[in-house]
Amino acid sequence: MSYALVVAEVRRGLFEERNLDSLGLSHLLGMETTLLMPDGAYTVGERVASTIIRVRTEETIFLNPLAMTQIVRKVIEAKGLPGAILFTSSSSGIELASYLAGALDLPLITDVSGFDAERGVFLKSYYSDKIFGEFKPKEGAFVLTVRSGSFKEHAVEQESAAAVEVLDGIIPPEGRSFVEYVEEEKGEIDITKADFLLSVGRGIGSKDEIPAYEELAGILRAVLSGSRPVIDKTWLPKPRQVGTSGKTVRPKVYLAMAISGAFQHIAGMKDSECIIAVNKDPEAPIFQYAHFGVICDANKLRDKMKDIVKKG
Amino acid sequence: MTYSSPSRVLTCIQCGKCTGSCPEAGRTAFNIRMIVRKRQFEREIDEALPWHCTSCGACTLRCPRDVKPSEVIIDVRSAFVEEGRIPVSIQKALENTFVQKNPWGRSRARRGAWVEKADVAVPHISETSSKRLLFTCCIQAYDPRCMVIPVNVATLLHRGGVEFGVLGEEEACCGNEIRRIGEAGLFEELQEENIAAFKEYGVREIIALSPHCMNVLKKEYGELGIKVSHYTEVLADLIAAGKLRIEGRYEKRVIYHDPCFLGKQNGVFDQPRSILRSLDGLELLEFTRSRETSLCCEGGGGRMFFEAEGQAEVRNAEVRVLEAMEKGAEVIATSCPFCVMTLEDPAKEKGQTVKELSEILMEVT
Amino acid sequence: MNLLVLTKRVPATQEEELRIVGDGRAVDLSKVPFKVNDWDNYSVEEAVRTVEKTGGAVTAISVGDAESDEVLRRAIAMGAKDGFLIETEEVIHDPQARAALIYTFLKKEALPYDAIFTGVQSEDDQFASVGGILAAKLGLPYASMVIGIDAFEAGHVVVRRELEGGMQERIKVALPAVLSLQSGINEPRYVSIMGVRKASKVERKVFKATEYQEHVKRMIDVVKWVYPVKKGGAVMLGGELDTVCKNLLGILKEKGVYQ
Repeated sequence: MSYALVVAEVRRGLFEERNLDSLGLSHLLGMETTLLMPDGAYTVGERVASTIIRVRTEETIFLNPLAMTQIVRKVIEAKGLPGAILFTSSSSGIELASYLAGALDLPLITDVSGFDAERGVFLKSYYSDKIFGEFKPKEGAFVLTVRSGSFKEHAVEQESAAAVEVLDGIIPPEGRSFVEYVEEEKGEIDITKADFLLSVGRGIGSKDEIPAYEELAGILRAVLSGSRPVIDKTWLPKPRQVGTSGKTVRPKVYLAMAISGAFQHIAGMKDSECIIAVNKDPEAPIFQYAHFGVICDANKLRDKMKDIVKKG
Repeated sequence: MTYSSPSRVLTCIQCGKCTGSCPEAGRTAFNIRMIVRKRQFEREIDEALPWHCTSCGACTLRCPRDVKPSEVIIDVRSAFVEEGRIPVSIQKALENTFVQKNPWGRSRARRGAWVEKADVAVPHISETSSKRLLFTCCIQAYDPRCMVIPVNVATLLHRGGVEFGVLGEEEACCGNEIRRIGEAGLFEELQEENIAAFKEYGVREIIALSPHCMNVLKKEYGELGIKVSHYTEVLADLIAAGKLRIEGRYEKRVIYHDPCFLGKQNGVFDQPRSILRSLDGLELLEFTRSRETSLCCEGGGGRMFFEAEGQAEVRNAEVRVLEAMEKGAEVIATSCPFCVMTLEDPAKEKGQTVKELSEILMEVT
Repeated sequence: MNLLVLTKRVPATQEEELRIVGDGRAVDLSKVPFKVNDWDNYSVEEAVRTVEKTGGAVTAISVGDAESDEVLRRAIAMGAKDGFLIETEEVIHDPQARAALIYTFLKKEALPYDAIFTGVQSEDDQFASVGGILAAKLGLPYASMVIGIDAFEAGHVVVRRELEGGMQERIKVALPAVLSLQSGINEPRYVSIMGVRKASKVERKVFKATEYQEHVKRMIDVVKWVYPVKKGGAVMLGGELDTVCKNLLGILKEKGVYQ
C-alpha cells in the first residue's frame, strides 16, 4: 500500500488544526500516513499518523517552497514516491504545493473539499463555490491542497504510536530566505486589507456601545468597520465605512453586527468569503447574503462572546 | 458623438451666483466659482474637490454668462478620469458599469427580473404596437427598496390603458451619472448600445422612471426622433383625462420635494403636483426652497458612489426632513429614486415617511 | 527592469446564477460578461509602478481566445509596453498544462526578464498554481501571496507575504524570480474607455498555442461539473447564546482568522 505524505502546516510553534483535514483525507484515500513536520515542541498526538518524519531545521524552512522541494526529494529518495502528497489549502500550503508539483512534474488539484473514493474523483470549487468540478488525476502520484474543515472528522487515531524518523542535512536555499515575521501596522487602518472585519450598524443603538465592540474586535483580532449611518453619526471615522460610497471589502470573514443589509451596504461587502450576520430582525435583508446567521441582539452576543473568549 | 457644450470659462465674470446657488457651498470646501476661476488660469485643482458636485444644475441655471459651470466640473473630472486619479468607489462604479451595464455591478441578466413582481403582464418592447418603451433605470432594476417603483408604474400605466414594453436585459445604464462623473468613453458606449436597441425595436416613445434617465435620454442622446418624458407627466395627463381613476382618499399632509433632474433641469414641476392635488383629502405643502430653488438631496453627480472628504455635519437630506417636520408634513413625497434613497435614511431616524409618487398613487387607485 | 506580467480574461460570475449543461459536461457561460482577472489587474499595476521606479518595461502576456486581447489592451493602457497573446480557443483547466504552455512559450521566444508577475489566482478556476508550477519549471525562486514589495534591487527583491490573521513574513528572493501578487497590494489606477481605445494603437502580437505544445501534458481531467451540495441561504445558528458563540468561534477558527 502506498503512503500519503502529509506536509504539516506550522506557525510559530503551533501545529495548525487545519492539518487534521489533510490527515482525514489521507485516511479516506486508504493510504498509510506519513506526517512531515519540523522537529520542535509541537502539540501533536503520537497516534496522529503511522510515521512522523521530524525534519531538523528552522520552522521557517517549512514556509520555503525551494526548501520544501529539497526536503520532499530526500523523503522520496529514502522511501520512494508517495501515492499522494497533501498540503493545507492556505497561504503557505498552496505556495508549497504548486512549486513542488512543478518541480516533480506531478498532477495537482488545489482546494479539495470532497472525495468520492468509488470513482476516485476529487471535488474542487470553481467560480467561488458556485460550481464544483470533479477532477481525476492521471495514474500515479498526485499533489493536493485540502480545504480547511472538509475532512477533519475522518482523521482517525492510529492503532499504535507513530514511528518517528528524523531527517537532517537540509541546506537553506539561496534563492529565497526568511527575514522576519511582520505584524500589520496598527497605524492607518485600511479595512480593505483586513482578513477579518467586525462591522457594526445603526442597530447597536448608540456611540456608547462602540468601546465594547472595539474590545471584542481586539480580542478576536478583527478590524472594526461600520455601515454608512454609523459613520454619518461619527460613531466611527470615515476610513471604516463599508459600502458603495465607502470602501468595498472582501475579507475572509465579515461579521455584520446589527446591520440590516441595505443595498448600498451589501454592494460593499457581498464578495466576502464568509459573511456572518447577527441581527434581531429575522427579516433583515442581510440574511439573504450571509453564509451564517444569528437572530439575536447584537450587543448581547457581543458581550457573551467577550465572556467566553476571556474565560478561554 | 457625446453631447458636449464647450465650457466658456473665459466669459465668466466671477459674479458668484453659481456658488450662491450651490448646495455644497459654504458647507464644504467646494467652491464652483473658484474652480471656474482656476480653469480660467489653467491652475491645478485639488483632486478631491470636484467630487463634491451633485450635478444639481443650479449653477448652470442661474449663470448670467452661460458659462455652464456644471459642464466645467465634468471637464475637470474627465481629466482626472483619464489620468486614473479618481476615488476608488467611483472607480468601482465605473468598472461595474463597464462589465454589467449598471454601477452596482449586478447581473445584467437580472435587469428585467422586476417584471416577475408585477401583477400585470409586462411585455418586451418588440411585442408592442405602440413601441412605447418604459426605461427602467439601474437602481430601480436592482435595489429591492426601489424596485416597487417600476412595478407600481407598470400597474398604473396598465390601468390607465397605456401600452408599453421594456427592454429587459437589453437595457444598459442610461449613462447620466457616468457622463457627469466624466467618463466620456464609457458614456458613449452606453449611449451607443441603448440607441442601437431603440433602433432595432423601432422605439417611438420613452417613458423614463428616473428623472436622471429622462434627462440624459431627452437632452444628451442626440436627435433620436423619440419623445421622452418622465412617468409623472404621463400619469398627470391620464388623471386629468379621467383615464386613471382615483378612488380612495389620502388624508395626509404631504410635502413635495422637487428632484433636481426633474424640476430645475427639465422644468417638470406642475405634473407631480397636479397628481398630488387630484387626491381627495391630501393637503399639499411646499418647502420654502421649492421648484427651481429646490434643495438638492445630494444623490446625483456620482454622489451615490462617493463621500467627499470634509463632508458637512448635517446633510441636505436631513435639512429637508427637518423642514418637513417643522412644516407639519406627515409624508415627504418625491418622484426620483435617488431622492427617495437619500431622504429616507434621515427620515427613518426621525420617524418620518418618504414616499415615491407611485407608492402614493397605488394606495388610491 | 524587464517585467513579464501574466493576465487573464475571466467570466464575471460573482453576480450570476450559473447553469450546468449537457448533463454535467459544461458550465453555461454564454450569457456571462467577461472582465480582467482581478488579481492580474493588481499585478499589472504593480509591474507598471515598479518600472516607473526602476526604469525598464512591462510586457503583458495572456493565454486565451482572441477576445483576450481586451486584457492586453487594458494592460497597455495602464502602462505596459506591449502585449503577447498565446491564442487558444480551448479552456485549459489543468494548471500544469497552462504553466507548461507558458513555459514552452517563454523558452522558445527567449523573452528576457528580471521577474515574472502573476496574480495569486484567477477568479474562475481559483487553482492558484500556475505561478508556482512555472517558477519550478523555470528553475526560479518563487513567492506567492505577495502583499508588498519592499525593495527591488539588481539581484534580489525583498517582499512581504501574507500569512493569516494580519501576520506577514518578510523574505528575500533572488532575481530572476516568479512572484504571485495578492489583491490589495496596491490600488490599481482606473483605466478609462478612451484609454483602452488609445492602447489599441500598440501592436499586440498573437502566437498560436498549438506551436508551443512540446512540454504540455494534461495531468488531471474534469470528469463532471456539479452544483454545490448546500444551496444558498444562510445557515442559521440557533440555540442558547453560549452555544451560538462557541459555534461562531469554531467558524472563525476554521476560516483561519482566529486561533
